[in-house]
Amino acid sequence: MSNTTSQLPLDGIRVFELGIAIASPFCGRLMAHFGADVIKIESQLSPDVVRIMGSAWVRERDDLAAAAPDTSPYVPEMNASKRSVGLELKTDAGRDAALRLIAECDVFLANFGARALAELGLDYESVAAINPNIVYVQLPGFGSDPAMPYYPFVAWGPNQAPLVGLDDFTGHAADPPAGIATVAPPDYMSALHATIATLSGLEQREMTGEGVHVDISQFETTLALLGPFVMDYDLTGTVHSRIGNHSLWGAPQGVYPCAGHERWVAITATDTESWAALSSLMGTSGNEFDEADHRMAHREELDRLISDWTSGFDAHDLAHRLQNAGVAAHVVSTNEDLLHDTHTMSRNWYQVAPHSRLGRDLFSGCAVKLSDTPGRWTDAGPSMGQHTREVLSDVAGMSDNEVSELVAANGAFEQIEPETLVSRPWNDWIHLFLPGVDDARDL
Amino acid sequence: MAGPYNGVRVVDTTGLAGAYATRLFAGLGAEVIRLEPPHGSPLRTLAPFAESIEPPENSLWWAYLGMGTQSVVVDPDDGDALAQILSEADVVFEDRLPEQSPIAADLLPDTAIRTTIVPFGLTGPKRSWKTSNLVSWAASGVLYATGFQDRVPVAPAGHLQLALHASAASALVGTLLALRARRTSGTGQEVEISMHEAALMFAPETGVPVFLDDRVHRERSGNRRDLGRPFGLYPCSDGFVSIIVLMPRHWNAMAEWVAETTGNETIMEEVFQDLGVRMESQDLIDTWVEELTVGRTRLELFTEGQRRGIPITPVNTVSALVDDPHLLAAQFWSKTQLPNDVEVTVPGAPFRTNSDWWNITPAPLLGQHTETYLG
Repeated sequence: MSNTTSQLPLDGIRVFELGIAIASPFCGRLMAHFGADVIKIESQLSPDVVRIMGSAWVRERDDLAAAAPDTSPYVPEMNASKRSVGLELKTDAGRDAALRLIAECDVFLANFGARALAELGLDYESVAAINPNIVYVQLPGFGSDPAMPYYPFVAWGPNQAPLVGLDDFTGHAADPPAGIATVAPPDYMSALHATIATLSGLEQREMTGEGVHVDISQFETTLALLGPFVMDYDLTGTVHSRIGNHSLWGAPQGVYPCAGHERWVAITATDTESWAALSSLMGTSGNEFDEADHRMAHREELDRLISDWTSGFDAHDLAHRLQNAGVAAHVVSTNEDLLHDTHTMSRNWYQVAPHSRLGRDLFSGCAVKLSDTPGRWTDAGPSMGQHTREVLSDVAGMSDNEVSELVAANGAFEQIEPETLVSRPWNDWIHLFLPGVDDARDL
Repeated sequence: MAGPYNGVRVVDTTGLAGAYATRLFAGLGAEVIRLEPPHGSPLRTLAPFAESIEPPENSLWWAYLGMGTQSVVVDPDDGDALAQILSEADVVFEDRLPEQSPIAADLLPDTAIRTTIVPFGLTGPKRSWKTSNLVSWAASGVLYATGFQDRVPVAPAGHLQLALHASAASALVGTLLALRARRTSGTGQEVEISMHEAALMFAPETGVPVFLDDRVHRERSGNRRDLGRPFGLYPCSDGFVSIIVLMPRHWNAMAEWVAETTGNETIMEEVFQDLGVRMESQDLIDTWVEELTVGRTRLELFTEGQRRGIPITPVNTVSALVDDPHLLAAQFWSKTQLPNDVEVTVPGAPFRTNSDWWNITPAPLLGQHTETYLG
C-alpha cells in the first residue's frame, strides 16, 4: 500500500497503533523499520507519556512549548518511522474516523488497558465487525477477560518487573531485592512477543485468509522466562531467589572493582578453558581452584582473590586483556562509556533520520539485522499530529473539508505550530556518530 | 488450525542464546530439529536438575527450553548426516561465527534462512569477544545502573538469563520477517543478531540518545527512585510490595489509605499533595507508608491497594506466582512430562489466541529422533 518499489518484509502492511510508553510502541517501531505503514494514534487529552516528558533543554523555554512534545529522545526510541495521527477517540467524530482507518488496516495493535479499549468500543469484537480479517494484537497488563480477578487492576510500568518475579531475583543474597525499574525488561520482552504474534497472525492470514485475536497478558508473557525455576519449585519446593552476580552453573562469575571511582569489570570464567586463561593471567594456576567443584564451593573466597587482582587495573585495559586471553569480560559501561564505544559506533548502532521539527535526530538502531531486506528509517519523528491530514485523506478517503471539520469539532488535531523549528544543542556534531561520514552536510 | 508455522522445518544448533526462540517456534507449529553432539546439548548440563533422573536427561533448562523439539544426534565429523539434515531446512539457527561453523554455505538450499546469534555481531572490533548474560548487561549500560549505590552493581534477574532470551526473541522476529520476505523473493537470507545489541535495544533508558539529552549519569538507586514518593519497594509481613505513586489521584488514594489504617491524619494535609514537598520529606513519607505496609501481606496490600485505584503490586517470588489467584483462575500454568513420567508445572502459552495455535510436547531424550531423520 505505502511503498511498492522496495521489497521489505512488511511492505504493504498497515498497522493501526494505540500505544503508550514502550510495550506496543516498540513493537510498532520494529514493524515500521521493516516496511510497515504504522499509524500511531495520538491524543492531546491523554497523551502518550513520551510526549509529556519532552526534552531536558526545552523544559525552561516557554517559547518552544509547542515543539516540546516532539523533542523527547524517547519519541524516536519508541516511534521512529511511524506516522502520527491526532484523533480524540472519546469523541464520536474522532472514533468514526478511527473506524474508517481501521477498515483499511491489516493489524490493530494496542497496549491500552483492556477495560479502556472496551470502553472506547475498540475491543476485538467491535473491530472485527468492521474488519473481519484483521490481525488484532492487544497487550493489557492482566489479559482481556473481564471474568479474571486482576482484570480491572492498574498496570503501571515500573510495577511490572516486581510483579513477574524479576525484582526478587535481583540483588545480593544478603540485601533486600534491588529494583530493576531503571530499565523495563518486561516491556521489551512483551514487545518482542507482540511482534512474533503479529507476524504469526499475518502468516495465518496468508494461509487461511482469516485474521486472529491475540491477547498478550503482560503478566503471563514474562512468566514464560521463569520456566526452570517454576519446575524446580513444583518438584522440590525450592524457591530460588537472588544470588548477586553468581551463577548456578559455575564459578567465578562476578563484577569486580578496577582502578578509579565506580569502575568495574564483569567476568564470566566458569568453564575449564576460561578459568585456565584467567588463572594464568592472574598468575595463580596450579592450585585447588582448578577444580570446578572447589571454585563453586569457595566462590566468595575466589571473588576476593579476583577483586584483589582486578583492583589495580584500568577497567578497559583489563577487559581487553581478558578477552584477548579468551575470557568473557566487559567494562561495566556507564552511559558515558557507551558514548565513546568504538565497537558500537562501528556497527552503526546509532541512526540519524530526518525530523520535521528538529531537522534531523539521533536514535538507537535495531538489533534485528537482515542481509537482503534490511530495514530502513524514514523519519526520526513523527511530530505529534504531523500526518493527521495526510493519513485521513490517503487512507480513510476523507476530503480536505471533512478533515478540517473534524479538526474544528475537536475530533482530530494537526501538528501545532509546524513553523516552530528547533535544533538539538548537539545537532552540529551528530555526524560523529556515523562512521564514514566526515561532513555533516552529507546527511 | 495448527500453529501458523506448521510445515516449516527448523534446524537449531545453538545453546542458550537461541533456545527460547526455537521453543516458541515449535509452540507455533514449526518442526524444530535440535542437532546435538553425541554427549548432548550444552543446555543439558545446566542446573537446576530433577533429582531422580540421570544425566543427560535431568536438566530442567533442557526439560523446559527443549519442549516441542526433536533431538537428532549428529557426530561433528559426520558430514553426510549433517548434509542430509540441512538439505530440507527452511531455517537454521546458529551461535557461532561463520569461520567456526560446521555448516558450509553449500549445505543449505538457497531458500534457507540462516540466523546467526553471536556475542558482539559479525563485524566490528569486538567481533571475536565472548559474552554471557552478565557480560551482555555490563556492555549495555544496564548493569551499572542496577543495585544499591554502596554495593556492587548487579545483573537484572541473573538466574533468568534475560539478555540471552532477548537475543533469542529478537532472532525469532528476524527469522519470521525473513520467512515473510521469502514469500515474495523465493530465496532465503541471513539474519544477524548481536547479543550486545539485543541488550542495548532493551535499554534506551541508559543509552546514548537519552544521555545526550539530559546529561544525567544513571547511578544506582537501590529499590526506590527519586521520581516520586512513595516510589519503589516497601517491606511487608511476607516480603515486599512495589508502590508507584506519581499522579495526584494516586497520591490522594494512598494518603487516605494510610490515614484510615494507621490513624495518621497529618499525611492528609494538603501540603503533601505537592510532589516537591513529598520529595523533600521523602524519609517521613516512606516511614508513614511503611507503617501501613509492614503488618500486612503482599496479597492483602495488592488487592486492597488496587481496589483503591493505587498502582501497587506484590514483589513476587516463584512460590507466590505459582499460587497466584489470577493465574490460577486464568488457568495459565501448564504441565509437561519428565523422562521418568513425572508431571511438572511449567508456564503456559506466552499469549492467547482465538485460533488454536499453541501446542507443545515434552522435551525429547538425547537422540530420540535420530532414527526418524537419519535412519
